Order: sequence, then structure tokens, then C-alpha cells
Amino acid sequence: MAIKPLVTKDFATENLVQLKVYERTGGYTGYKKALEMQPDALVEEVKKSGLRGRGGAGFPTGNKWSFLPKGVYPRYLVCNADESEPGTFKDRYLIEKSPHQVLEGILIASYAIGCNLAFIYIRGEYLPQHDALETAIAEAREAGYIGKNVFGKGYDIDVILHRGAGAYICGEETALLTSLEGYRGEPRLKPPFPAIKGLYGKPTVVNNVETVVNLPHIVNNGADWFKSIGTPTGAGTRVWCMSGHVNRPGNYEVENGTPIRELIEEHGGGVWKNRKLKAFQPGGASMMVLLPEHLDVGLDFDAIAKAGSLAGAGAMVVMDETTCMVDAARRYVKFFHHESCGKCTPCREGTFWMANIFDAMEAGEAKPADIDLLLEIGYGIDGRSFCPLGDASTWFPRSVIKFFRDEFQQHIAEKGCPFKKQPQEAVA
Amino acid sequence: MAAVQTDQVTLTINGQSVTVPKGTLILDAAKKIGIDIPIFCSHPKMAPVAVCRMCLVEVEKLPKLQPACAVYVADGMVVKTTTEQVGKYQKDVLGFLLINHPLDCPICDKGGECPLQDQTYQYGPGASRFDFPKAHFDKSVPLSDKILLDRERCILCWRCTRFSEEISGERELALIQRGTNTIIGTFNDEPAQSNYQGNWTEICPVGALTSRQYRFISRPWDLDRTASICPACSMGCNIQIDARSNRIGRFQSRENVAVDDSWLCDRGRFSFPNFQRQGQERPRVRRNGSLEEVSYEEAIAFTADALKHAGGQVAGWASPADTNEELFLFSRLFREVLKSAHLDHRSGVVADAEPDDIALPIADIERCDQVVVLGGQGVIDAAPVLHLRLFKSERKGVKILKVGVTEGKRALDAIPAEAQAIGILATEADKQAAVDLQAKLAKKVKGSVRRLIVTTGPNGRGAKDLGILPHQGPGYASLNGRAGRGRLQWPGAGVKGLYVHESSPLHGFVPSDAESMWLSTLPLVVFHRFKASPLDEVAHVILPGHAFTEKYGTVTNMEGRVQRIRRGIDAEWVREDWRVLQQVANALGASWAYESVEEITGDLVRELPPYAAVNQEARVLWSEST
Ligand SMILES: Cc1cc2nc3c(=O)[nH]c(=O)nc-3n(C[C@H](O)[C@H](O)[C@H](O)COP(=O)(O)O)c2cc1C
Ligand code: SF4
Ligand code: SF4
Ligand code: SF4
Ligand code: FES
Repeated sequence: MAIKPLVTKDFATENLVQLKVYERTGGYTGYKKALEMQPDALVEEVKKSGLRGRGGAGFPTGNKWSFLPKGVYPRYLVCNADESEPGTFKDRYLIEKSPHQVLEGILIASYAIGCNLAFIYIRGEYLPQHDALETAIAEAREAGYIGKNVFGKGYDIDVILHRGAGAYICGEETALLTSLEGYRGEPRLKPPFPAIKGLYGKPTVVNNVETVVNLPHIVNNGADWFKSIGTPTGAGTRVWCMSGHVNRPGNYEVENGTPIRELIEEHGGGVWKNRKLKAFQPGGASMMVLLPEHLDVGLDFDAIAKAGSLAGAGAMVVMDETTCMVDAARRYVKFFHHESCGKCTPCREGTFWMANIFDAMEAGEAKPADIDLLLEIGYGIDGRSFCPLGDASTWFPRSVIKFFRDEFQQHIAEKGCPFKKQPQEAVA
Repeated sequence: MAAVQTDQVTLTINGQSVTVPKGTLILDAAKKIGIDIPIFCSHPKMAPVAVCRMCLVEVEKLPKLQPACAVYVADGMVVKTTTEQVGKYQKDVLGFLLINHPLDCPICDKGGECPLQDQTYQYGPGASRFDFPKAHFDKSVPLSDKILLDRERCILCWRCTRFSEEISGERELALIQRGTNTIIGTFNDEPAQSNYQGNWTEICPVGALTSRQYRFISRPWDLDRTASICPACSMGCNIQIDARSNRIGRFQSRENVAVDDSWLCDRGRFSFPNFQRQGQERPRVRRNGSLEEVSYEEAIAFTADALKHAGGQVAGWASPADTNEELFLFSRLFREVLKSAHLDHRSGVVADAEPDDIALPIADIERCDQVVVLGGQGVIDAAPVLHLRLFKSERKGVKILKVGVTEGKRALDAIPAEAQAIGILATEADKQAAVDLQAKLAKKVKGSVRRLIVTTGPNGRGAKDLGILPHQGPGYASLNGRAGRGRLQWPGAGVKGLYVHESSPLHGFVPSDAESMWLSTLPLVVFHRFKASPLDEVAHVILPGHAFTEKYGTVTNMEGRVQRIRRGIDAEWVREDWRVLQQVANALGASWAYESVEEITGDLVRELPPYAAVNQEARVLWSEST
């Protein structure tokens, strides 16, 4: 499939971060056009476009907007820029290359849902990106895109930029809202869903950065045009964050449906050091591992799900033949244990237990029964946890046991990591 | 068959059909038909949080197991709580809870009444497969002078933090750190200040929060448990006296939704050491300046003789912690036998009591739209559990106005004319201000204005109802010129003898300076009491009596609810107080023949028919208006 950059098409333009430059590339015309439309019509247009959320779950954006209860105000839009899952860095790229595009998307979404105060919750470590957004907001305010009675259309909007304090769980939308309100970052019980009772108990939409940057283009070119890009159930493009054992790691925007092989081999320049591909992980740290046999699967929510993994937040971690899969799983499990908020028992205790077993594997102290024990612990966590963080902590390790059980057996039999004998490369 | 109501839903749990109101949790619907679903974090008085994940059950059509404590029923729902999947999961989650649990049950105060222990036996895995070092945390951390926290035993159920947030509103306990490192603590490790900390030990489903007073005192199975009433104030919170080998180990709560809503304050809960008996004691009479031990018979004869000499010039003070039955006999002894009207139960000046003082029942505070707490914290200090009711009401939307006694105007201005139901709370010392405010509010607003006056002592209300007052007889009957003198006038009223009856050190006769001078000159002081006090030194007769926790009878709380106290401790060598009062009266010529407390209660109700409320432990209704 042809490369069709959409949200990154102007990223080569120098000084795109500046308002004047952004405007010259057509920036803010989508917002202006949106302001000429009825908000409901705008929601319909986005529904029709088939845009699905890029934050992880792939929920249809227009539908999400239409869940807001009629007549309840104020209502809030929160742009989720927490991006803390290992392997993901697309939102960072989208913000630093074109903060105004993010802002324009937020303004369009806000207008569509009738929100007069929008928030951006940005990962604490993203300081330069924070500063870029801060400057962009100031410029947009100066230019009259943000403020009271925007362009005399009777629409008031303000945007507040808020830095997180470094917890992965705060990317989960309800934990994000709790954190934004100033409390401990822990997910909330659903229902009520944020659309009904979100920030400060008011109807709230949480949208990912990459989700909103699509909006100016949908408004400018129309839903039908957007729908024509990508796959029937996955309209548009995605920015894939490729990392690991490839020659050219980085962000690549490709049309949905593009084969994984094309992303890794053409964009990424193939596996590094002339080594063979062992496995790859789409979606981010949460997602199940896939094998070379899956290289022809299309980069699309449904296709990847059918192959046994998930597109998630659009990360692509490539692992070459020297990778110890047990160690890869160990690192992810330790990440989840570290990031478990501790609210619920299965995730808090289960990730602790799994981390212990993986450390024992690494140290050559594991027992044969530990492999199935890991699966059982995973079974006790997945679907039983309070939020998807716990569930997801089990997906990668369980998929690794499924495909690479022999590596676990080797660790046990040889009392340690068989790959340690070879030069070790960093994973993820 | 009844018509289908729209606010009812019918669902099936384990094949059994059950109909419950909309908005019922699966957990409660199951409970209704006797199906037990194990829980840790869920608590009937707190909003669901679904954090422990113990209660997960199968709900047909939903792919994941669902928390029964947080999912509301729906019509046609099919719930299964005993499937293989659920059973296996219950083992998993208990296994998770136990991997970092110290399992120091043999030295844990909770052992034997611990939900974690019990549910592990019932639903848990037989053995642990976790063979790594457990995470270690601080143990025996003093949160205050009342409570110890064992962070290893804590299962992070959030009950204590939710109590602190939702029940007491003090937000003193918080979750600190995250993940497996999460701990419970106070801000900057400062000592907890709450007056409701004891409740934490009761709601904690493990031995993480324990009482310092009860530490290593007893095993639950060694406790004798007696339902009674808190002796510390006029709220009348229901307690259980837990005693081991005839010594009080602790007071626990015993839910009465109309009164305490299942909570106790620390002042009440931790007041029990006042009621520990030091040893056996015999009656004593003063002969030639010193007290000599005698038999009850001798002491009673001595008392009767001395009272006869004092004639009508003898005064009687009975404590507001006495039972109604004792007070009934005490009043008859004075009014009928000694022909004295010098009766009192008070310690200071207070405005006259009247039935309108109880027009606002405690539970109705929640149903007011505005409540004025006239005297602010002073009112709470007089009956601390009131705060929990007020906070609960506030969370339900009741406007609570805490104002100083002299700031009634502020409340008057703040309450809108459309208010429907207004309540006023004040202590008996500030009753007049409450009555004044009530009159002004009644003029201003459309709705009802009712007051509740907080009295003193667990039976201050009963003492007033039964006329332990110089100018009012039982049932607030006016004495029309036959009034006697009150306690404050006694030193100058030519009183020749004093009979003091008390059974609680918390509400005893504490002489003022003026009274001390007067007492030392009195020819007769009869001291009928539970515990020694400085009054012993001036007493001519000491009649040992039972403590509040050692006797049977009834007491009336501030809202007029007549409740039973029971014998939590057996002190059978002490003659029952009512029996001694009867024997004194009979020695003076009366012919009472009570054989039991019930017979006295029966007579009391005959004389004061509203006290038939005692049979339902209900509130005394003096007239239609209350
Ligand atoms: C543990 C966890 C972390 C998450 N982190 C992020 C994140 O960093 N950014 C994000 O947009 N969504 C994240 N999500 C997904 C959000 O909950 C939410 O679904 C998303 O922001 C919705 O935006 P969208 O509809 O535009 O995709 C996370 C979810 C979970 C469970
Ligand atoms: S699964 Fe539970 S412990 Fe883990 S992050 Fe979510 S709420 Fe916290
Ligand atoms: S201390 Fe007790 S009540 Fe508090 S969270 Fe821990 S287990 Fe629960
Ligand atoms: S409020 Fe009064 S009756 Fe209730 S526990 Fe406290 S002291 Fe006892
Ligand atoms: S009791 Fe339901 S999750 Fe804790």
C-alpha cells in the first residue's frame, strides 16, 4: 500500500511549531470551518468518518462524543498526552513537531461536544513538549483561537495544560481524571463512565493526542475522504512508534492495513545487524507477542486482533534472534509490577509474584512447575483486576510462554539464561 | 399475586429467584436469600469501591466475573456464585492476599474473629505456592495513644480510609505509596486525633488496626459478650461488653440504626477501665470518727435510723447514670417514705426540662433540611457520635450550621423561609438559647422546627422523666408549692443529711468547694456507690453498689429512647442497689416487696404509662406532639 502521510504530512516544514508557519500549511482552517458548523453536525461527521480512538482501545470517537448526556453542563474535554507505555512515543512526536495541530484538534473536539474548558494531561517527563504546547496555547490565545467569543461565533473556550507526575496508570482515563483533580492516580469504578460523570463529576470526553490530530483533516476533507483511507473498520492512518532491533527506529505514519512487513522492512530498514527476526510486539508493552509468520498481517485494529495481539497504542517493538524472550517478558512484568497502583488485589499481588518468578528464572532458581504457575497467576489476574493495567500485565508473558515455552525450560534446566552466553542487546 | 412494581427487579441467583428494589447490589440481593458471598472491602455503610476483588461472581452474558459488591441488579439477571470458575478464582484471590500476609495469627488480636482467617478456611487454597520472601513492612506502628497499625497484616481494603473520609469526614488516614508498597498512614506520621478511632479496629477485616487497650487481653472465644448501653454520655449508643474471666476486655459496638448507626466514639468505647472493679468490699459505717466494716443488714439499719433522725430535712442526689428502676425507687424513698422533696440529679444550673426537648429524634436529623448546632463543637463534645450523624446528614444534603451559643442570629439569617424541616441541637446548659432560636425560626419559616437537647449522663433524660428534681415529679408533674430545694441551694437550706447514689465514676457526685465545706459539717452523709471517691472521707455510711456495667435495668437516652443495660460483669457479693434501697425504705416503715428489676419496671410503667416504650426499646412519647 502506498505511503499516505496525513497527520505528519507537513512535519518536514521548518518551524512548523510556530503559529504563522502552521497557518501557512493550512493550519486552523479545520477549526474555522468547524465553527461554521452546528456542533451536532460535527459529531455526525466524525461518526461517519469512522475515526477510532488512538489511545489504545480503538473506540469510535464520534460515538464516544454522543454518549454525553443532553443538557448537562459544564462538560469537559481532556486530551490524554500521558503516553507512558514502554515502546510508545508517537504522541511526543506529534506534539513536538506540531503542537498547533494538537491544539486545533482539541479545539474542534471541544466545540463539537460543547465544552468551554479543555485540559491537556501531559506526561511529566515530557517537559520540552509541555513547553511547546504552552507556547502554542499562548500564541493561539493571542490570535483569538482560544478565548471568549471566538471569531464572534459566541463560543468560549480555554485550554489548561497539566503535567502528570510520572505514573503509567495516570494514562488510564479515570485515573487520569482523578489525578487531574489532585488526588492519587487510581482508576475509578465504572459505571459511571466519564461521559456521564467524569472530571469534577461532570460529563467528560477523554481523547488521545493522535485521535484529535486527525480532526482538522476530517473537517477539511470530509468524512467520506477519511473513510476512503485505511481499512473498512480502521479508517485513516496510524503513527507507529518502532523500536528495538531495527535499523531505523522511529515514528512512521502509515495507512491502516499496511502489512507489518512493510513497516519493519521498508520503513524500519529491516532487522539490524543482518540478524533474523525472532518476534515482534505491536501495540505497546501490554500486547501479545507475534511471530515472523504474522509479518503479512495488516496494521489494523481488527487484523492484529485476529492474529492474536492488539494494535493498542501503536508501538512496534522488534526483537531479533538473539533476544531472550524470558528476559523480555521479565522486564515487562517488572514494569507492570512497578506501575501497579496497588488498588486491587490481583494486580498488586499477582504482578509482585510474577516478578519474583521471573527473577528466579533469570537467576537460574526457577522450578519446572513455575511455568504453569505463571500461567495460573495470569489467569487469576486477567479479567479479575479493577482496571486493564492488571489484565494487560499478563498478556505478553502468557503469549511468550505459549510460543517460547522451550526458552523457559532451558532457563530451568541450565540454571540460568542461555542467551547470556551470547552478547546481549537491550530490548525495548 | 401482587402487581409487578416498576421499582422492583427480579433476578436469579444460583437458580433461586429473588425480587429486590432497583438499585440493590448483587451482594445484598444474595444476602436476602441466604447466599453468602465473601467480601473484604465492601461495607454496608460505605460506598462500593470493589478493590479487594474477593466478591467476584459470574453474571450471565458478561464475559468477566463481576464484583457483587459494586454491580447493581437488573431485571432478568442470572448470577452464579458457586461455579467452578468462581470457586477457583476465590482460591486465587485469597492466595494473592496471603502471599504478603505475615500469617502471625497466633499472636494477632484478630485471630478467631478475622474475616481473612475465616474466609481462607472456607474458600481459600489449602497451601501456598509462593516460596519467595514476603514483602516486609513496619509492625506495631502507633497511630495514636489508642491504636496500633500492623502494616504487614493490612490487606489494603480501604475501609479505614473510607471511614475517615465518608463516615467521620476527618480524612486522617490515607493511602501512601503505591503498588505492593502501599501503606496506610497519617499525614507526616503525626498522631491521629480522631475521637472515632476505635471504629477502625472493628471495620478492619484483619488484625492491622488494633486497640492498644485490648492488646493481648483475650481470645475472642474466651469472651463473654453482653449487650448493653454506653455509660459515657446521653447519646445511648448500643455496646457489647466483652469480658474475660469477669473483667472487661473492651466495649464493642452493637448496631442500632436509630441511635449510633453502628459506631462508637473513643470516649465511650475506651471508658471501660473506669468500671473495672479493684476487689471485694464490704459496707462500712463511721463509729467514733472511723469507718468500720459491717454487714449489709447492719449498714442498712444504721442508715434507716440516721435518716429517721434527719426527718424531712434530708436531701437525695442520684446520678444521671442510675437506672430508671433505681431512680424510681429513690424518688419514692424520698417523696413517699422520707417526705422530702430535696431531690436532684444535676451538678449545675440548667433550664427546666420538658417533653419538647426530645421532639427531634436522632435519626430524624438526616431528614431535616437545615440543622443548627447551637454551641458548635461543645454539642459534639457532649455526645460525640452525634458528629457522625451530622456528617452523614451533610453528605446527604442536609445543611448543617454550627454556630456559637450567642450566634443564634447568624443561623436565623442563614435559614431560608422555605425551609421544610429544621432541627436545633444544644446541650442542656444552653437550652434557653435553643428555645429562643426555635421561637424565632418558627415565626420565620413555613416548615417544622424541632429541637433535641443533649443531657448529661447515660440516663440524664430518665432522671428528668422520673422527677429526680426538686420541683417536678415523675412525668414533669408540677409540685405546686411542695417543691424542695435543688443541689445548689442545699448548703444553705438547713439540710441535715444527704444520700448520694451513684454507679459510674463518670457521673458521680463531685463536690464544689462550697459543697466540700458544707459536707464536712453535715451530720449524715450516706454514700451508696460503686467506686471509692473523695466523698468516702466525709461519709457516715458507705453502701457498696454495682457498677453501670454490673447491673440490669433501663436507661433513657437524650432523645427519650428507653434501652436496657445488662450485667456484663458478675459482682454477686455486692447487694443489688434496688434491693438496698427497698430495704432502707422498709426499715423506715414501707412495705415494698419487689423481687426483681422487672417488677419495678412494671410499677414504673403503671405510674408513668409513656414508659411502656421500654418494651420496644422505643422513644417515650409524652404526647402527640413528640
Ligand atoms: C494502564 C493504561 C494506560 C493508558 N495510557 C494511555 C495513554 O498514555 N494515553 C492515551 O491516550 N490512552 C491511554 N490509555 C487509554 C485511555 O484509558 C483511554 O482509553 C484513551 O485515552 C481514550 O482516548 P481515545 O478514545 O482517543 O483512544 C491507557 C489505558 C490504560 C488501561
Ligand atoms: S489493575 Fe488494580 S492495582 Fe493494577 S493498576 Fe489497575 S486498579 Fe491499580
Ligand atoms: S488497615 Fe485494615 S481497614 Fe485499613 S486498609 Fe488495611 S486492612 Fe483495610
Ligand atoms: S456518643 Fe456517648 S453514648 Fe455514644 S459512644 Fe460516645 S460517649 Fe458513648
Ligand atoms: S468485596 Fe467486592 S471487591 Fe471487595
